[in-house]
Amino acid sequence: MSESRIFLSSEANTHRSGGLPRVMWMILLAFAVMLPMVVNAADAIPPKGTYDGKDVLQPIEFPHDTHAKVNQINCMYCHTYARRSKVAGIPPTSKCMGCHTVIATDKPRIKKLTEYWEKGEPPKWKKVHDVPDFVHFTHEKHLRRFVFNADLPVENVSEVCGFCHGDVKNMTVANKRKPLNMGFCVRCHEANGGPSDCWKCHK
Amino acid sequence: MSGHEIKRRDFLKVMGWGGVGATLAGCDMPTTVTLEEGKEEVVSYMSPEEFVIPGIGIYYASTCQQCSAGCGIYGRVREGRVLKLEGNPASQINGGKLCQMGQAGVQTHYNPDRITKPMLRKGKELVEVSWDEAMAELDKRVGKSSSVDGQRVAWFSGSMSGHQSVLLDAYLESVGSKSHFVYEAINSAVSRAVNAEMLGDATPHYRFDKAALLLSFGADLLGASSSPVHYSTQYGEFRSAPRGMHVQIEPSMSLTGANADLWQPVIPGTEGVLAYGLINMLVNKMGYDASGLSLEVRGLIGKYDPAYAAKVTGISEERIEKIAGLLKSKSPSLVLAGTSTEGQRDGYNATAAVTLLNVILGNVGKTIESSGTFPFPQMAAKAGSSRDLLSFASALGKKQYDVVFFHGTNPVHTAPNYLGLVDNLADVPFKVTLSMFLDETAAVSDLVLPLLSSLEDWGTHVADVGGSTQTTDVTIQQPLMKQLYDDTRGFGDIVLSLLKARGVEEYTGFDDYYAYLRDAFSSTPEAITGGLGTKAFWQGSLQKGAVSIQLDKGALQSNPFASEVSEHKADPSYPMHLAPSARLGMWDGRHANIPWLQEAPDQISKVVWESWAEIHPSTAAKMGVTNGDMIKVESRQGAIKVKVYVHRGVHPNVVAVPMGRGHEQYGRYAKGRGVNPLKILSQVTENKTGELALYGTRVKVSNASDKGTLIHMGDSESQVGRKLVSTVTAEVFKNTEGGGNSVA
Repeated sequence: MSESRIFLSSEANTHRSGGLPRVMWMILLAFAVMLPMVVNAADAIPPKGTYDGKDVLQPIEFPHDTHAKVNQINCMYCHTYARRSKVAGIPPTSKCMGCHTVIATDKPRIKKLTEYWEKGEPPKWKKVHDVPDFVHFTHEKHLRRFVFNADLPVENVSEVCGFCHGDVKNMTVANKRKPLNMGFCVRCHEANGGPSDCWKCHK
Repeated sequence: MSGHEIKRRDFLKVMGWGGVGATLAGCDMPTTVTLEEGKEEVVSYMSPEEFVIPGIGIYYASTCQQCSAGCGIYGRVREGRVLKLEGNPASQINGGKLCQMGQAGVQTHYNPDRITKPMLRKGKELVEVSWDEAMAELDKRVGKSSSVDGQRVAWFSGSMSGHQSVLLDAYLESVGSKSHFVYEAINSAVSRAVNAEMLGDATPHYRFDKAALLLSFGADLLGASSSPVHYSTQYGEFRSAPRGMHVQIEPSMSLTGANADLWQPVIPGTEGVLAYGLINMLVNKMGYDASGLSLEVRGLIGKYDPAYAAKVTGISEERIEKIAGLLKSKSPSLVLAGTSTEGQRDGYNATAAVTLLNVILGNVGKTIESSGTFPFPQMAAKAGSSRDLLSFASALGKKQYDVVFFHGTNPVHTAPNYLGLVDNLADVPFKVTLSMFLDETAAVSDLVLPLLSSLEDWGTHVADVGGSTQTTDVTIQQPLMKQLYDDTRGFGDIVLSLLKARGVEEYTGFDDYYAYLRDAFSSTPEAITGGLGTKAFWQGSLQKGAVSIQLDKGALQSNPFASEVSEHKADPSYPMHLAPSARLGMWDGRHANIPWLQEAPDQISKVVWESWAEIHPSTAAKMGVTNGDMIKVESRQGAIKVKVYVHRGVHPNVVAVPMGRGHEQYGRYAKGRGVNPLKILSQVTENKTGELALYGTRVKVSNASDKGTLIHMGDSESQVGRKLVSTVTAEVFKNTEGGGNSVA
């Protein structure tokens, strides 16, 4: 039994509480901005290849550009699980409402979001980026390699996200721009000295 | 299609259309697994707990319900779904280990054949109804205002314990019923009865770690026993240095037998004679003291001289002497009886002979200790027996019941044909089954109430076997996830609502079973809580998965007795013995609806997904059959046709057909696969305890002249010269691999 397991005593079927992580993130971000710029993602060789993804109709047309480009919000502010887990995570609805109870409340998309919130029902987003179930991909390891261990300033994380997700800053609803197939992964692993044994991904 | 040739092009056309059809069908699937953008949904949390990180599992403790051993488990829960079960290291029973049946618990839980709504018989059919209608029907038939006579209400369940048991007792009392039958097809009722009589403790504590020799008369400790994981762990200690020696005597090889140093086949029904023969040899030839025994017992032992034992059992005198010599040289030892010894007309006497060996050898007090007394008898395990099935069937024959509840057992599948259970049940006006699945028993019921899975429900359990001599655990079963189906209910919740409908004041205040459990925990004596507050004690117990209870000290008695084992007679028209062996996998048939267990190769034959009959190569040669050929196994009660597995681990006079398959209902994975040997059991009952004599059936076996293929892993016994596994002779091994140090 490994040490990293979390054992909890509370009952499994009740999940409701507030947003302490949000506060912590704000502090973390403020701290990160003050750090001197050391390196960029230059020691990484981005994967090559493109994909012309189709437009996906989402329940709310979420504007990534407004958030990430205009307002300069860090990717990991919302996709907070990326650095801790295999999945980046769709932000909990409570996180959206953390800002949107006061910001842009008159906009139709925010009104729609508020409706969801009041109904107590998260929007059913459509999945855009995916790998097959027999592929073990982890965001956490990739961020460790290309951001935290590479001393990349956290505010530049979108460069690394963009390796696989494209230039999300300039999209509204995310669109698949990279092929995300095995060749795409393997060539990048070769270029950057990533692991090449089968079991790393197929386990 | 016969009679005209299909042109290749036509054939392709058909295939083409077939392909399109399949693709269209795929589009209608409610959930889609695809990489295509915008097809799968991904839903976030509304506001998650801080500790919830998508992609990372959280572990909760609970109790396994796949058999009645009650192992502690941890469930890995991710994004609100339970994904994997592991053993709970804090559990006294399984110490962090979990068997394949436990691992497969998630497939019971996520099984596509679960019942999701109550069903009521209207005319001939069971139709889905609302809970309101189901409860109204219950109220009409067996409620407070109904005219039902409480004496004519019966509850028929599997083994149970803990607060569910307390609640059920309260309900039956409120109804005025005294009929609670507790049935398990795989049980150790005869051994319990013998132990209670001879040692004063039905389930003494066995110290495998202290034993230098284990002599098992068919006790399948590692497989189908009362606590397989517990015994496997104990067995591991027994086998670690200094390595204990293991001799297994049984009609057909079990998983435990396969691990023995010496495996001795025996004709079912002669084990008692063999045990007495061993005692005779120990006393008369090896200087064991029998002066403590009564004159009557000594006289009886005198009758079974080794020559007679050899004649009856077909085991040579030299072999009997060798085993007796091992018993003498490797002390203390531990001698145990299992189903093949117990399940005979004279099973009680044979088991007593086996237990008497322990007394003669001086094992009592050394490798057999008192298990202590659990201080809350109302919560203690009600262990199942097959006697309860027989007395239930006989009561049904006398039309003693108007209302019968079934829960946690499937007697219509496991009862032998001769009991006529289905016909007799037809005369019971109202039959209620509480179940997760439409099994054979539910299918003949009038009302079926869909239960939560054990991974969705609350409960407490007290294991029958396991733990130390000082403490035992009350283990806690907690939901590992939210219930999958809104219209399923917990067992405790249903019994509680029945109690409330009866207006029993003590219970009217509880909203649900959870509230009842919380209340029960809040009144735990301080000696157990260790002074913790109510909430802290509850949270701590949930986290650990159990509450440790100090046992009252017990002491073993010694009341050696012996009774004659009746002569084993040949039956010329039915010359073979049927061994309906049980396996850790299908168990008594309850796991036949789990695909993982259907596809897990059998421990002995490696067969998957179907039934087989094990026969000895010499028997196979006489019949002219080989692996996969169909044979007919016929008893006085009926016949089954099954494929042959030719195997040396079975006595030449025995045909072994493992139980568990041959379902007529029970969902897509179980239905119509294999055969059920329990159906053709003869009307043989153990004389003293009234148990079903599971190994007492005589059969004749014939070649059904039908060639088939047995689906089993590793089809060939030969390595075709490829040295996949290299072997050396025993002689070479002794000289080169340290084999000279082996106890064998």
